[in-house]
Amino acid sequence: MSRRDQQSVIRWIHAAALACLAWCGSAQTQAGSLTVTVKQRDDKPLVGAVVTLDAPAMPPASPIAAIMDQVSLAFVPDVLVIPLHSKVLFPNSDAISHQVYSFSSARQFQLPLYRGKAYPPVVFDQPGIVTLGCNIHDNMLAYIVVTAAPYFGRTGADGTWMAPNLPPGNYSLHVWHPLLNEPQDVQRTVQASADRAAIEVRLSRELRPAPLKGRPHSWDY
Amino acid sequence: MGLLNRSQVLWLAVVIASAPACAADWEIALDVRAVSSDGRESFLDNGQGKLRFDEDHQGIQLGRLRAALDQPFGEVFSAHVEASTWDDDDKNPIDLTEAYLEYRPYPRAGLRTRVRLGAFYPPMSLESRALGWETPYTITPSAISSWIGEEIRTVGLEGQVDWLGTRLGHDFDLQLTAAVFGWNDPAGTMLGAHGFGFHDRQTTLFGRVGAPQPDPAFAKKELFHEIDDRAGYYVGAQVRYLDRAVLNILHYDNRGDPTVPMPEIRDYAWLTKFDAAALRIETGGGWTVLLQGLDGTTIIDPGFWLEWQFDSQSALLAKRIGAHMLAVRYDEFNVLFFGNPHAPGSEDGNAWALAYSFDTGEHWRFALEWLRVESEVPARVVLLGETAFAAESKVELSARYTLSGSF
Repeated sequence: MSRRDQQSVIRWIHAAALACLAWCGSAQTQAGSLTVTVKQRDDKPLVGAVVTLDAPAMPPASPIAAIMDQVSLAFVPDVLVIPLHSKVLFPNSDAISHQVYSFSSARQFQLPLYRGKAYPPVVFDQPGIVTLGCNIHDNMLAYIVVTAAPYFGRTGADGTWMAPNLPPGNYSLHVWHPLLNEPQDVQRTVQASADRAAIEVRLSRELRPAPLKGRPHSWDY
Repeated sequence: MGLLNRSQVLWLAVVIASAPACAADWEIALDVRAVSSDGRESFLDNGQGKLRFDEDHQGIQLGRLRAALDQPFGEVFSAHVEASTWDDDDKNPIDLTEAYLEYRPYPRAGLRTRVRLGAFYPPMSLESRALGWETPYTITPSAISSWIGEEIRTVGLEGQVDWLGTRLGHDFDLQLTAAVFGWNDPAGTMLGAHGFGFHDRQTTLFGRVGAPQPDPAFAKKELFHEIDDRAGYYVGAQVRYLDRAVLNILHYDNRGDPTVPMPEIRDYAWLTKFDAAALRIETGGGWTVLLQGLDGTTIIDPGFWLEWQFDSQSALLAKRIGAHMLAVRYDEFNVLFFGNPHAPGSEDGNAWALAYSFDTGEHWRFALEWLRVESEVPARVVLLGETAFAAESKVELSARYTLSGSF
């Protein structure tokens, strides 16, 4: 059996186990949903905020294979959220070379100058925020959020993210965004019940300025 | 300067660039102009006019034909070469403006070093941020950038240390620069000869500024020579706030020995020192504010002490809407010979520029510029029998086509 097949089987077993857990759970207590809404200080929705829901007794979500691409001198996506032990492939869709690096404590690595074919994927085994840069193009900036939480996602255009089929219980809710300017980590304790629950998180400070867009790539930054 | 001569340093970079390595990126840009000008005889033709295209150089003109090569060499080395032709009376029909080898290792723990060896511009213009050291805001750069392009080039070794704060969760990045260089001893000679100009005609490494002087006594128009065997230096710092604001400062001293002549070019080593500062702020709404300042002195001593003080300030406001950009700029410039504003060699002036540009981001860029320079130049009376005061204007249309690729 190839390594890839083995991984598929492991993933299938994970999924089956989770489904079983969910089914067993629903037999005893029905799962509900939790809608998280993140609003800026001026009441506007915060789009693209990373929301994680952690419970001490629950294992992290299953690892995934994700892609952080480089398109038109930018990382795509600008923020990638992955469960612990996930693998990320860094293709380069530009015609020019890039040189990706991170010296964040959660994962330090570098991909020597390349274009075209990607290097083997990078595995992320520590939770935390990994800041990515390109040594050739200093304006390229992106983040990989590595989480040990069983539930996670990013808020949509309306600033909300919903966790469906959430077993009842107490969860630790974290909100993160690259432009966040809060004095402390944005963290809440929430209780999920069998019903639909909702929580609104409002920021106390204005966001930091967003990266400028639309400047010609040929300019020196 | 002992070990290598100027050509050897430059061609070292060229040779390394041509060595087989990773794929190289190349770029060719043709910039054609349509010019209407009432400028006095240009400094490029040995006049005291401030503009590149004077009254006798109107109509269709070659703005610049430029070729650039960027060759990675192994993992952390790369070579950059910029060659241009300008279709004027320079010595060589095609010549280099920059050629250097760069060492750029991976950042570690938030710090990165960078080293450049060869011929290049010192990191001081926040205006000349487009390829080929051109300004994207106008066709004609400020008096400060025009002068740097005309007289200043680092031919030597430069080291930089970057603290990449934004990669460590901070809002600031910091960069420190230091360089030692030679072959720029005549820097200052053009300020003494014609003062500041407003032009995008960068002086080439093996060329001269415009047409030869008919009188060999004034032949000094070549800028990249080593005359006194003394290395110059500059030190600089740059602070960045996210990608919104950049503050740049530089102290430059070519440490010329002003008593040492170079008979071949009828010139001396000019002792030129200056301080330069620039601030660029960009907003999310597409606005750019760019402030620049320059203050320095240049001295020669051919048996008697001659000293020029010079300074210039520039303020630019630009608004970008998609591919369109409108920019307005005001410049002041001043050269003081022996502290006497009426002495030939002194000058005082200001300039307004208004430009619209449309950059498709792919191949084409179009720009339309109106520029008016007012200057009081006593040398016009003494040397040319003209009035000291001149108001020179031009309207210039630029169409630039760029092709790039890899091999």
